[in-house]
Formats: sequence, structure tokens, C-alpha cells
Amino acid sequence: MRARTVLLPLWLAAEAVAQSPAAGRLDEVARIASVMVDGDVARRIQTPRSVAAMLDPKPVEPWAASDNYEVNHEAFLATKKTLLRLARLCDSPCDVNLWMPVASTPPRVQVVIRNVHEMSQFWPWGALQQEMPAEMKQVQAEGKRIIVRRTPGMTSVLAPVYDSLGDIAGLVEVAGRERPDPQENVQ
Amino acid sequence: MRFRQILLYSIALSAAAADVKLLPEHIRVDPFGAVVERDRGSGVEAARSITLEAPRAAYVSCRIVVSLPEGGAYRLDVKSPLAADLFREWYHFLPASKKYVPDALVPAQTPHEARMPQPDNRIEKQTVQSYWLDIWVPAEARPGRYQVAVAVESGGSASRAEVEVRVLDAVVPGDDAVVMDHNSYGTSWLAAQYPSLVQRLGSRFYLSDEFFGLIHAYHRILYEHRGVYHQLGYGHGGKVGPEFAPRLEGWGKTKRVSDWSLYDRHYGPLLDGSAFASTRRGARPIPFVYLPVNPEWPASYLWWGEPGYEREFVNVMKELEAHFRQKGWTRTNFELFFNHKKRYKAFDWDGDETRFPGDMPYFAEYARLMRLAFPSSSPVRWVFRADVSWQMERQFKELAGIINFWVCGGGMFGWYAENAAVLKQRGDIVWTYGGTPTVEEPASRMAVDALRCWMLGVDGFVRWQTVLPGRDPWFNLGGGGETIVYPGDRFGVEGPLPSVRLKLQRNMLQDLALLNSFQSRVPPATLRAGAAQRFNGTRVEDWRSPRPKLADSDPLGWSNLSIGEAESKDPRFDQALDAAAWGRVRGYILNLAKEVRP
Repeated sequence: MRARTVLLPLWLAAEAVAQSPAAGRLDEVARIASVMVDGDVARRIQTPRSVAAMLDPKPVEPWAASDNYEVNHEAFLATKKTLLRLARLCDSPCDVNLWMPVASTPPRVQVVIRNVHEMSQFWPWGALQQEMPAEMKQVQAEGKRIIVRRTPGMTSVLAPVYDSLGDIAGLVEVAGRERPDPQENVQ
Repeated sequence: MRFRQILLYSIALSAAAADVKLLPEHIRVDPFGAVVERDRGSGVEAARSITLEAPRAAYVSCRIVVSLPEGGAYRLDVKSPLAADLFREWYHFLPASKKYVPDALVPAQTPHEARMPQPDNRIEKQTVQSYWLDIWVPAEARPGRYQVAVAVESGGSASRAEVEVRVLDAVVPGDDAVVMDHNSYGTSWLAAQYPSLVQRLGSRFYLSDEFFGLIHAYHRILYEHRGVYHQLGYGHGGKVGPEFAPRLEGWGKTKRVSDWSLYDRHYGPLLDGSAFASTRRGARPIPFVYLPVNPEWPASYLWWGEPGYEREFVNVMKELEAHFRQKGWTRTNFELFFNHKKRYKAFDWDGDETRFPGDMPYFAEYARLMRLAFPSSSPVRWVFRADVSWQMERQFKELAGIINFWVCGGGMFGWYAENAAVLKQRGDIVWTYGGTPTVEEPASRMAVDALRCWMLGVDGFVRWQTVLPGRDPWFNLGGGGETIVYPGDRFGVEGPLPSVRLKLQRNMLQDLALLNSFQSRVPPATLRAGAAQRFNGTRVEDWRSPRPKLADSDPLGWSNLSIGEAESKDPRFDQALDAAAWGRVRGYILNLAKEVRP
């Protein structure tokens, strides 16, 4: 019941936004991203040491996981470059962000690569990891792209990222604004 | 007991009719006449007269305290043979302690007409209003005594007080012993803090003369208070604000600057000094400025490790060097500085507070690229700045010849303080960084950071955030630990207002510059020992921290908890500080000024 309540408005929003050319372009980029982003490489971005620190939070050390956040340069760079290339397909400034699930119950997620405009409808600034939003759960469960309009003036398209076994490894968020704000996120 | 103490302080200020008294700069009073808690204990009482000794090319300050127990209209007048600036002290309500503390300073013309309670400050049963008085003593002022008359009138009653300024022969040097830097990020906060301007200018705000005027006003107020202002112009993902960098076009070998107009409107008056022409300190180019360079600008990170990254970077930076040279902007240090952290997920290495040794080679690569763009023969100065903490000791060694401007975590640097001399010996600039004391700390706390730098031989101190007073600083102040100025919008001022803390800091920096100038005649160790003893009864060696065992282990095993446990906690620098601490040092300096010719 709860899932239906959540999913119905999302579906309606997706339908409505899909009519706009801007959302259509973001959707097209997300479709390509779904093919181009390598889920196996994406899984290797965060180092095991960093993952361990993230999964073992200590209340007396609230910054420990952030201080120990570390990536494998090669995997990060390969994926980052793919995301930067994908963003060049957009007609106006957009970001292609990579999100990866965190091995936790209930399901959590972390943004693993963000990009130049720092646009996202899901990332609360500074969060290392967070509860997985319903829209991302839907993509994980169904393997379909969805269009999201949570923040006024902003559109995101979520698309699955696959590994070599055909499993969904993570998601991309292709995010754009109707009216870009040059001063936003310069901080 | 506590009530009796407060009452005692209050009695000194209270009277039946209009009354005016004077207090030294380091004693703050609340809107009911009580000395604020952290400034008590000095034994100083408000009086009808006060004597201020002043070197030349400097400000001297005191507080004017107007008491009107029955309330009503009053008129305050100040007549001074020297230039005098009067400010009404705004009483900020602190919800955490449910107390009022003065900090923002609202400019007031004299004669000044006002009411008690002050309507805009909205304090029920307010009986006392304090004012900050600045008196400027120019370098050419004749030494001697100057009388400043202060008078308040209300209804049929009047009260008078007198400030005697004794101008000394000594002149405060124009250059500071310690650079006090004030940091900030971007410009979007300006729109939030100046809603009247945004409403008037609409979508033109960020392209308007008023917008650039605001930026220059922030530089100007901090410069006039012997400070430096930094505004970082890019985000953690590499987005550059249009006013912080020239516009670029093309990519790969065709990438180039296409438009300098916004950059020049922003930086031109700062880099040629004309933005400061109206100040008492005079026009002077800003000494430091961030470059907009980050891993995503001017070269796209898409090409990192490929020939295109070097080509984009070097070609554009060559254009910057040529532009700066042609404009004659050669007295400013242009800072190559990386602020990103991998925890914010945009890049794979930490530019700021680097923690992982694997990130070090990136710095070497950027130094190489900059040297390709900026020839060593160029008159344009650039420095490679790194803000360091966890790995600073290792970075001092491994990045020698690459980084030449070190901004070191203030607490931790105490463990490695012997490095200040080593780094400076090789020509590097050494600063430390930290926060801004809140309004709830004693007035003398504003002196600690600069004084510690001077004790350790460090060149400067960065207050990491200095322009964010919070959502409602006027009636709900969180302490003010992220601001040292306040937006003037509420008072119809298109620019920042100073604060009590900024004034205290300026006056201390003046004194320190004068003290430092005695080094040619008095052994520096003697000066340092004299200042330390008078400030808080310490020795010079107490101003650095003993090296803890932790410092000999791998920083990857450290945590904020273990660092906190290892850091020195000497209450003489914090809780045990008394408000008059800097006043004693000032007395020492002014006595030396009478005895010693620099």
C-alpha cells in the first residue's frame, strides 16, 4: 500500500515531465549512461578500508568515515571521465552523478561521483551516505529509468548502471535546471 | 553573591536622569548596564573621563555608555579635534544563554538623536545604550593632548564626559607584524544578506555596479581594520563563479579566454588599489588573491593525464599571466590553491587538508604546469598555497620547492612550531588557520590568534569563515563564530558593518605592529617574553604545544578524538583569560614607545 502511494505520484510526475524537450534530452543522456557506465569499475571506486570505516560508525567519532573516505584513483578517473563526457551531450548545463548502494539494512546509498555544477535532487550537502530515496529503490527494483522533479525548477533522470553479470550495480542521476544559477554552489 | 556582583557593576552606570560615562574598549555592557559576564573582574568602572594614549597612524577607541533609567528621547554629541567615528552598539540576543551582548556597530552621525529603549533593537525595559567611539590619529598629528567632549541631553537633564587623547611621538608602521586574513566562499550569500538591493535590482543584481561595490566594500572594511579579505571563487565540484574568472571558450588546443569584463570589474580596483582610495590607510593593492584554478578549471578534468589537460591549462594560464602583466597587477600574490576534498565526491584527491600520501603527486604536477604558464622572469607573482593539517610535517618535507605558502591547522601546528623558521628560511610564507572567537568569549580572546602567530614566528592567520552571521543575527545570534562583520542592509547601508570584535582585533594589530617595530632596538625574545607575561602570565614556550606521542604515529591512524586528546588545553589561553589581558600588553608597548625609538 505504502509503495503504491509513493510510486503513483512519481509515475505521474515522470509522465508529465517527459513531455518537455529538456527532460527528454536528460532522459536520452541517462539512457546512454545506462550503457556506458561500467558497474564493475564503479564498484571498485571506494577502497575497502574506506568502506569498512563507513560501515562501522562510531558515535564518538562522527567524522571518522569522512576523514577516511578514500577512492582508487584509476577506477574513479575512468568513471569520472565517462560521466564528464556524458554531460557534454546535454543541451544546457547538467551533471551526471553516480550513486552506489551501501551494503546496509535498511538500504542506504551514497553519491560516489559528483560533477561540476553540483546539481542533485537527492544529495544533502556533505552527506557521505544516506537513506535510499524511494525513486532509487524503484530503479533498483524495476531496472527502468524514471524522471524526478522534487526540487522546483530541477529535473533529474535516474537510470540503472549494470555490471558484467547483468545485475544492477548502481544508478546515474542526470540532473539539470530549467534556469541555471551561475552563483549556485560556488562555495 | 552573583546577584550582588551584577548589582555592583550596574550601580556604577545607573542614575536617575540622563547620564553618560566612559569605559575602555575591552569592557562591554548589556542594555541594562551590567558588564557582560566574560568581561567582568577587571575592577574597571565607568567614569566621567578616560585617558587614551595613542601612537600616530592609528585608531584609539573607547565606549560611551548612555544611561536613561526612565527612558525617552536623548541627544548624544561628540566634539573632537581629531577625526572621530561614532557607532551605536547593537545588542544581540543569544538564545542559548538568554543574554544580550553588543557586537554589530551601526554608524551614527553626531549629534545623534535616539530613544531609550532603542526602537529597532526591541529590548523591553532597556535602560542603557553603549556606543563605540573610534578616534583616528593621523601620522602627521602633533604629539600632545587632545580633549574630546562627550555630552548627552534628555529633557531638562544633561551629562558630560571627557576623553583625553595623549598622542605620542611613535608612529604605527603601515605593515602588520602578522597578516590577519578573513576568508569567505563565493557570492551567493550577498544576495541573501542584501534583500533590499536584490529587490531593487532583480535579475540584474549579479551584473550590477552595486554588486561589485558590495564586494569591494567587504575588502575595504577589512583593509581599513588592518585585515585581508579572501573570497574563494569556485565550488567543490569545480564550478567557477562568473565574477571570479574570465569566461572561456573552446576546448583542447582551441580553449582560450573570451571575455575579461566581469573579472576586471571585480578585481581591477582591488589589484590596482583604487578600491581603497577612500580609506585612512590609503590606496594599496590587495596582497593576496585566490586564482580560480581548480582541477576542473581552466582545464577540464576529462583530459587529466592526457595532452589536452596540459594544453588547456597552460594556454589559458599564459593568457592570465599576460593580462595581469599588461594591467600592472604585479604587487599581489596570486594563489594557486585547491580547496576540494574527496569526501565531497567530485575529485579523487584531497586538495585541502590532504590526508592520504597518494595525493601528494598531484601538487607536483600542478606546480609543473604553472611553471610552464608563468615564466620565472614574469613580474606577476604567484604562490602555491596548501592548507595542511593531518600530514603537514610530511608535506613540509615532500612538497619542498612545490608548495611555498603554507596555511597550517592552528592547534596542530603547535606540535611542529619549529618548522616556522625552517620554512621561512627557504623563502616560504607560513600562516595558520582557525575560527573566529564568539561574542561570548572575553574581549581579549580576539588577540590570541595573532599574538600566537607572532610568538611562533608565523606570518599570518586565516579566520576560515567571517561573513556568515546566521539567519537572524539581530534577535537570535548563534554566537557569531562565523562572522566578524554584519550586513548593513537592515540599516540602509549598502555594505558591511564592523563589529566590536573587529575593532578590538584592529587595535591589537596596531599595537602588535608597533611592538614588532622595536625589534631593531630590543631583543625580540625580550619583547615576546614581555608580551606573554603581561597577557596571561605565560612564558613564550607556553605558546607552542609539546609534541605528543601521536605525532610520531601514522596520521592515517589519527582521528579528531585522538587529536583533540593530544592537543594542549591550557585555560590561560581560553577560559581563564581576563578581558583586560591585551590592555596590559598595550601598556607595555606604549611605555616602550616612550622609551625606544624604532
